[in-house]
Amino acid sequence: MSQLLGKAVLLRCPAGTSLQDEGRLAGAQFGIPTSGAMDQKSFQWANHILHNSSNAVALEMAQPGLRIQFDQACQIALAGAQVAVSLNQTPLSNSTLISIAAGDLLEIGAFLTGSRLYLCIQGGFQVERYLGSGSDFESVTSSSKRSTQEVLSYLAIPQSNSLGAKPKWETTWFESPEIEAYRGADWPLLSSAQQELIQSSIFHLSKYSNRMGIQLEELVPNQLEDLPTNPVFPGTVQLTPGGKIIVLMRDAGVTGGYPRILYLTEEGLSKLAQKRVGDPIRFQLMEITPAG
Amino acid sequence: MIPHYQLLSPTFGELVWDQHPTDELLGYQLAYLTYIQLNFSDTLEEARQGFTRISLVWKNPKNQQEFLAQLKDLKLPPMELSTTIWQVPVCYDPEYGQDQNSLAESKNLSLTELIQLHSEPLYRIHFFGFLPGFFYLNGLSPKLHIPRKSVPLLAVPPGSVAIGGSQTGIYPMQSPGGWHIIGRSPLTFFDSKQPIPVWAKPGEQIEFVPISAAQFQNWKEPYPKLLRK
Repeated sequence: MSQLLGKAVLLRCPAGTSLQDEGRLAGAQFGIPTSGAMDQKSFQWANHILHNSSNAVALEMAQPGLRIQFDQACQIALAGAQVAVSLNQTPLSNSTLISIAAGDLLEIGAFLTGSRLYLCIQGGFQVERYLGSGSDFESVTSSSKRSTQEVLSYLAIPQSNSLGAKPKWETTWFESPEIEAYRGADWPLLSSAQQELIQSSIFHLSKYSNRMGIQLEELVPNQLEDLPTNPVFPGTVQLTPGGKIIVLMRDAGVTGGYPRILYLTEEGLSKLAQKRVGDPIRFQLMEITPAG
Repeated sequence: MIPHYQLLSPTFGELVWDQHPTDELLGYQLAYLTYIQLNFSDTLEEARQGFTRISLVWKNPKNQQEFLAQLKDLKLPPMELSTTIWQVPVCYDPEYGQDQNSLAESKNLSLTELIQLHSEPLYRIHFFGFLPGFFYLNGLSPKLHIPRKSVPLLAVPPGSVAIGGSQTGIYPMQSPGGWHIIGRSPLTFFDSKQPIPVWAKPGEQIEFVPISAAQFQNWKEPYPKLLRK
C-alpha cells in the first residue's frame, strides 16, 4: 500500500535552514561528521509530542522568515527557539502543536528567545537517508541546505485528535548561563591556573559560530603543543595554541589535534545551541558518579 | 602495548596508548577495536579511532562499567596489518601544486628531491578524519615536515595532495585548508552514492605514483590500482 504524500513548498527559506535528525553515527568511520539537530533536546521533544520515532527528520531554522505552504492536512510541532508564528496570516498564541489543513500557509516571524527552531511533522519529512540519517551535510547528501521554492514531502495523515491535550513549549531551561561539562581527555595537561580560569570565568559567544563550532570571545593563555590527532565529538571543547576556546558542534570533523579540555553533556550541548552571539556562558564541571 | 582506560563521563571513555603512532600500535588499536565491535555491539553506541586513542560511547553507564570489568583481564595480540597497497596517481606539476616551490625552498630541496621524498615511501592509513574520506597517513619523511600555513587557503581544490606538520594527506573535496599543496590526484576519494563511500580501510597502505599533466588531464578511472593483496 502506498502512502499518500503531501507536499510542503518553501515559499521563503531563510539562510541556514536544513533538514536534521538524530545524526549520522555510522559515518565517523569514514570521516563523516555526526550532523543532526544542533539542539537535540528540543528536536526530540517536538518529535515526541507528535508520537514520531526519535529519528524523524525535521526542519532546523536559525533565522526568522520561513514561509511554508502545505497541500495536505497534517500535524506539526514547533520547539527550540521561542518565535512569533502565524497561520494563514493570523498570529497563533500557542504554536507548539499545530493542526494543518490542506492549503495552509505557516509563517515564522521574530525569534524572541533562543537561536534554533525545529519544525517537526507527523511521520517526519520524507527524504533519502544515507548511513541511516536524513541530516543535510555538504558532499554527503544531495543538498547541504534548503532553499526557496524547494518542495519537501511528508506523509499525509488524516486529521484526528488522538494527540491529546495541547502541550506548551517552555524555554527557561536554556536561558541560564551554566553549561554542564565533564573534564576532557587532555584536561590533566592544563596548569592549575588554566583549570581555575576555565572553571571560574564567564565566556561570551563570538560571531565565529556555526553548525561546525562555536568559538568563545575570551582567550585562555596556552603554551600546549598540538597533540597526535585523536577523536572529537559534538560537545568536545578544544583549546587552540593561540588560546582560543572552540566548542565543536554537530557538523565538526570527527578527529582533531588540539587539546580536548572539556566535553559538554547532552543537555549542555543543546543549551549552547540556543545561545546567541554575545551571550554569556559559564562551564559547570560535573563529577563522574559511580554507575547507578 | 596494553591500553589503559580514561573514564570521561558516565557513558564515555577512551582507550589510551602512551606510545607514538606506529604500525605496531595501529595493529593493537585495530585488534581492540575489532574485539569491542564484535563483543559489545549491543551496548556500544559508537567507537572512534585516532592516532593514539580509541573513544568509546556507551548506551548507558552500566554498559561502560561492564566493559571496564572485562577490560582488566583483556590482553589482545596485535592484528596483522593488511598487505594491500593502493597506487594513487599524483601529478606534481607546479600547476597543481601551488606551494611546491615555497616548500622546496624552505626545506632546501630541489623539486625533483621533493617529489622523490614524497612518492618513495609507503604510507599507512590509520583512520579517516577532518573531512569525509580524508586519510590520516603515517610515513612522511621528516625532511618534509613543515608547520601549517599561517593563513589557510579558502578553497583547496578536490584531489589536492598536501603536507601539514608531520602529515601528508589528500583533500577529497573542496575545503578550506592550511596545508602546503604539492600536487593533485585525479582519483575519487569519497563518493556518497556508494553504500561504502571510500575504497580503502585503516591498516592498508598507499603509494603515490607521479604522473604527467597530460596523464592527469586524460585520467578516466576514478579508483586506484590494487598493487598487492
